[in-house]
Amino acid sequence: MISAMSPRDPALHPILEKVGRGERLSREDGITMFRSTDVVALGQMANAVKQERSGDAVYYVFNQKIEPTNVCVLTCEFCDFAAVPGAAHAYEMSLQSILDRITPEVHEVHITGGLHPTWPWEYYLEMIRSIRQRFPDVDIKAFTAVEIDFFHKKFKLSVQDVLAQLQEAGLSTMPGGGAEVFSERVREKLFHQKIGAGPWLAIHKAAHRLGIPTNATLLYGHIETIEERIDHLLRLREAQDETGGFLTFIPLAFQPGNTGIKPTHEYTSAIDDLKTIAISRLMLDNFPHIKAYWVMLTEEVATIALNFGADDMDGTVGGEKIAHDAGAQSPTALTKERLVKMIREAGKVPVERDAFFNPLSVDAEFVVGKIPYLNSVPFYAFFDSPEEKILPVVPRRMGILARKKEIISGPFSLMDYVSIENDFELMEFCIATRDQVKSVLLFSKGGWRDLEGKRIAITDDTATSIRLLHVLLEHKYGVHAEFVRLHPGVNDLRGFDAVLLIGDEALHCNKYGLPGFELVFDLAREWYEWQKLPFVFAVWAVLRSLPEVRKASLHDALKESLRRSETSMAWLGAQHGKRIGLTAEEAREFLEGFNYHLGDREREAITVFKKLNAQVKQILWTLNS
Amino acid sequence: MASALRSKISNGERLTPEDALVLLQKTSLLDLAEMANEIRYRKNPDPAVTFVIDSNPNYSNICVVDCIFCAFYRHPGEEGEYTYSVDQMIAKFKDSAAKGVTTILLQGGVNPQLPLTYYLELVRRTLAEVPGIFPHFFSTSEIIGMAQVSGLSTREVLKQLWDAGLRTIPGGGAEVLADRVKKKISNRKGSSNDWLEVMREAHAVGYRTTATMMYGHLEADEDIVEHLLSLRSLQDEHRGFTAFVPWSFKPGNTPLEKIIPHYATPTRYLQILAVSRIFLDNFDHIQASWFSEGKKTGEIALHFGADDFGGTLLEENVHAAANFVNKTNTEECIQMIHEAGFDAVQRDTLYEVKKRFPRTVAA
Repeated sequence: MISAMSPRDPALHPILEKVGRGERLSREDGITMFRSTDVVALGQMANAVKQERSGDAVYYVFNQKIEPTNVCVLTCEFCDFAAVPGAAHAYEMSLQSILDRITPEVHEVHITGGLHPTWPWEYYLEMIRSIRQRFPDVDIKAFTAVEIDFFHKKFKLSVQDVLAQLQEAGLSTMPGGGAEVFSERVREKLFHQKIGAGPWLAIHKAAHRLGIPTNATLLYGHIETIEERIDHLLRLREAQDETGGFLTFIPLAFQPGNTGIKPTHEYTSAIDDLKTIAISRLMLDNFPHIKAYWVMLTEEVATIALNFGADDMDGTVGGEKIAHDAGAQSPTALTKERLVKMIREAGKVPVERDAFFNPLSVDAEFVVGKIPYLNSVPFYAFFDSPEEKILPVVPRRMGILARKKEIISGPFSLMDYVSIENDFELMEFCIATRDQVKSVLLFSKGGWRDLEGKRIAITDDTATSIRLLHVLLEHKYGVHAEFVRLHPGVNDLRGFDAVLLIGDEALHCNKYGLPGFELVFDLAREWYEWQKLPFVFAVWAVLRSLPEVRKASLHDALKESLRRSETSMAWLGAQHGKRIGLTAEEAREFLEGFNYHLGDREREAITVFKKLNAQVKQILWTLNS
Repeated sequence: MASALRSKISNGERLTPEDALVLLQKTSLLDLAEMANEIRYRKNPDPAVTFVIDSNPNYSNICVVDCIFCAFYRHPGEEGEYTYSVDQMIAKFKDSAAKGVTTILLQGGVNPQLPLTYYLELVRRTLAEVPGIFPHFFSTSEIIGMAQVSGLSTREVLKQLWDAGLRTIPGGGAEVLADRVKKKISNRKGSSNDWLEVMREAHAVGYRTTATMMYGHLEADEDIVEHLLSLRSLQDEHRGFTAFVPWSFKPGNTPLEKIIPHYATPTRYLQILAVSRIFLDNFDHIQASWFSEGKKTGEIALHFGADDFGGTLLEENVHAAANFVNKTNTEECIQMIHEAGFDAVQRDTLYEVKKRFPRTVAA
C-alpha cells in the first residue's frame, strides 16, 4: 500500500523507503521530517504504520479525571491550575467526594493533582484502596512521575516501595505527564522545579519492572527546538526497548492561557500538531499506541489526526481542569455519541477500551478480527476489500467480541469457536502447526513434573493455548498447577515457576530468552510427539447470518491474500520479522512452519483435542494484580 | 479501484460520477489529498496560497423564502428586521476601504420591498464614490427576486446590473443542487435549475462568479456528486466560474437544528474539498476557508487541494446568526498560510495578484 506513495517533498523519499522496509528511523530522519512541509506524505507514512499496528481501530475509554487537590508546593510558570495553600481558589477533596465523582459508566479513573504539603502517605493509599474496593472493575491510572518522586522524597520511601504500595492498593497504570521536554536547556528555563529526564525515566522504568504499564508525553509548542523534540522521542524509544512498558505516547500541545510562558505563537498551529502526531508514530516504532488528546488539540485537529497516525482518542474525560484552566479551547467533556461519530467519519472503527487497551466493545459494521501475531500475517498482507474493517485483537478478546457478535469474522481460537458454533460457520482456513510452532511456549524454571502445585503465569491473550497446557499437564504428565492470569503489557514475573506465552511475545522471548526461566517447552511439539497430529490453534469462521454475497467476497479476499502470501514468504519475513527482533530468514522459516488450510488431519486433531479437553475440569483462575 | 482512479487522474482523464462516488465512499482521506494535490500543483505549481481582503456586510435581513437552514433572516415587520439605505451602505463601504478592504461581498435577504433601482444605485455609487472597492454583489436568489419585483427577466436584470458596472457575482444560495434536497430545506428558494440558469445567463453576459456548496444537512453522497456534475457541465459552456467554495451547514438557531444538531466533522470537509478539486477539472481554484470550518481545519485544508484561503471577512452576519463566529485580520491570515507551509499572496476578486508575502523558513 505504502509503495504506491510518492511524496511531493523529495527529502522524504529515502524515509519512505525505510518505512516501507520496516527500518528504524534515525535522528536525522526525524529532523528532516519536521523540516518538511509535506504534511500529507508524513500522514500517509504514519497512517500506514498505524494500520499495520492497530488496523482500522481507534480506541476511546469512558474515563473520569479526578484532580484531588490543586494545592501544590511547586509554582511552575506554565501551570494555571496550582494554588498555594490558603489561596481563595485552593481546594482539597475528601475520599467521599472522590468516590462520588465515579459514575457507573466510568471504566477508568485518571488521578493527578497538586503536590500537597501536608497530606499523609496513608491518604493516597486509602484513596486508591477505596476506589478499588468500591469499583472493582474500574482501572485506576494515577500519579505522574512528578508525584511519585514527591512521595519518594516526602515520605522517605524508595521509588520502588512507593510504586509497590500503590500497586498493592490497586493502582493499574500510570499516566505519562510531567515529562515536558527532556532537555536540560528547556528545563532550566521553564521547568526548573520539575524532576527532569533522568528521574522521570527512572521512575517509569521502575514501574514497568513492577508490572505497571505507563504512558509517556511530550509538551511541545513553547520554546523547544525541533532537535529537542526528536531527542525526547529517541530517549523514550530507548527506554521502551529496555522495558516495553509504555502503552501510549501523548504529544501535548502547549496551552498558553495565563501561564507565564510566552511561546513563539499563541497556540500551536494545526499543521504542527499533525506533523508531531505523524512523526511520533514514525519515530516511536516500539510504542503500541499514539494518542490524539482532544482536550489539548481541539476536537477538530484530534479527529483529523486519526488519519495521521493516531489510534487513541483518549475518552470522554469528565472533569478535566488543568488544561482548561490554561485556556484549552475544547469542551470539558465529550459524549460517547460525539466521539463515536468523530471516529466513524474519519473512516475508522470506534473501539471502547480499558486501561490496558483491551477492546471492550466495537461500534461499526463488518469488522473482521485479526490476530496481531506474525503467524496470521498471510491472511492480511494482501487483503484488499474496502468494505471490511480490520481490528487487531488477541485471541481471547476476539472470542469475547464474537460472542457479542461485534465482529463478523476472524481466526478464532479453537476453544472460542466451540462456544460460538451456533452463530458462526467454519471457513476453509485455519492456523495449524506442521510439527512445532515456537509461538506457544512454556518458559519454566524446571521440568514438566517439577510443576506440581507450582504457580504458572498465563498471558492474558490466550484462550486455547491455556487449555492445551492444561491437557498436557493433566493427561500427559499427571501434574496439577495453579494458573495466574497476567494483565496485558508488562508484568512482574518474580514469584512464578513458569510462564505461558504465545504469539510474538513468545517468539521474541524464545530468541532472546526470558530471564529466570531457563527451560523452554514448545507446546505444539509436545502435542505432536504425544498425538502424532498437528495442533490447530485457530479456525476461521464467519457469522452465519451474514448475506451470502458478503461471505463469498470475504472468502475470496482471504483466499487471494493467502495465495499471494504463500508465494512471497521471504518478503513477508523481511517485512514483519524486524518488529519482533527476528531476521528475515528466521521469520520466513517460522511462517513456513504453519498450515493455513483446514484439511482432514486438522479436523481429526480438533476432534481429539475437544475430547481430551472435555475430560479436564474447568480452570480456576487467579488474576495477577 | 483506487489505483485505476489514480492513473486516470495522472493521465488527466475526466472522472465519471461513479468515480466521484468511489472517491467519496471508498477512498482513504490522505489518498484523496494526494490526488487532489497532484491536480492542484498541475494547475497552479506555485507553492503559494491566495487570499483577499474583504468584508461581507448585508444591506437587509428581510427575506420571504424561509429556508430552514438559515438563522439570519427576518420576515417583513418582524422584530429585528433591518434594511439599510444606499447612503448607509456607502458609508459602511468607505469605512471598509479605509481598513484596506478591496472586495465587498454584498448580499441581503430576498426583500420584496426594494425596487431594482436600489440595487443599481448601490452598484453605481460604490464604483463612483468608493475607489479601491470591487463590488461582488447579489446572489442568484436576489437576482430572481429583483426580476419578480421589476417584472423583467433575470437576463434583463443581469444586463442592467452589468451596465451599472457590476462584473462579478457571488455563488451563494446553491446549497446542494439536487432538487430532492432543495425541496426539503429551501422549498421556496427555487429549483437547482433556477440557480444554474441565472449563473448560465450571468456567464453569457460576461460575469465571473464563484460556485458554492453547503453540505452536511439532508443530502446523500449521490446528491453531492450531482451538484459537482452540474457545476462542471455549466463550467464547460462559458468558463465563468472563478472558484468553488464548499462549506458545512451550521445548525445554530435554525429550524433544521432539531434534526441536525452538529455541523459535519472536519474530516468530511477535507474529503469534500479534495473530491471537488479532483472532480472539477475545469475550475482554476478551490477555496478553503479558515472562516467556515475553523482556523485549524482551514490551515489543514490547504493540503487537500485548495489554493485559495478566501477572504479576511471583516464583517459577517449569517454564520454569526447561527452562533458560529471566527474572526481574523490580514496579519493572522498571512500567518496561517505561512504556518501551513505556503507563501501568502493577496489577490483581488478576479484572482489577480496584488502583493506577495513570502514565508520565512524557520531554522
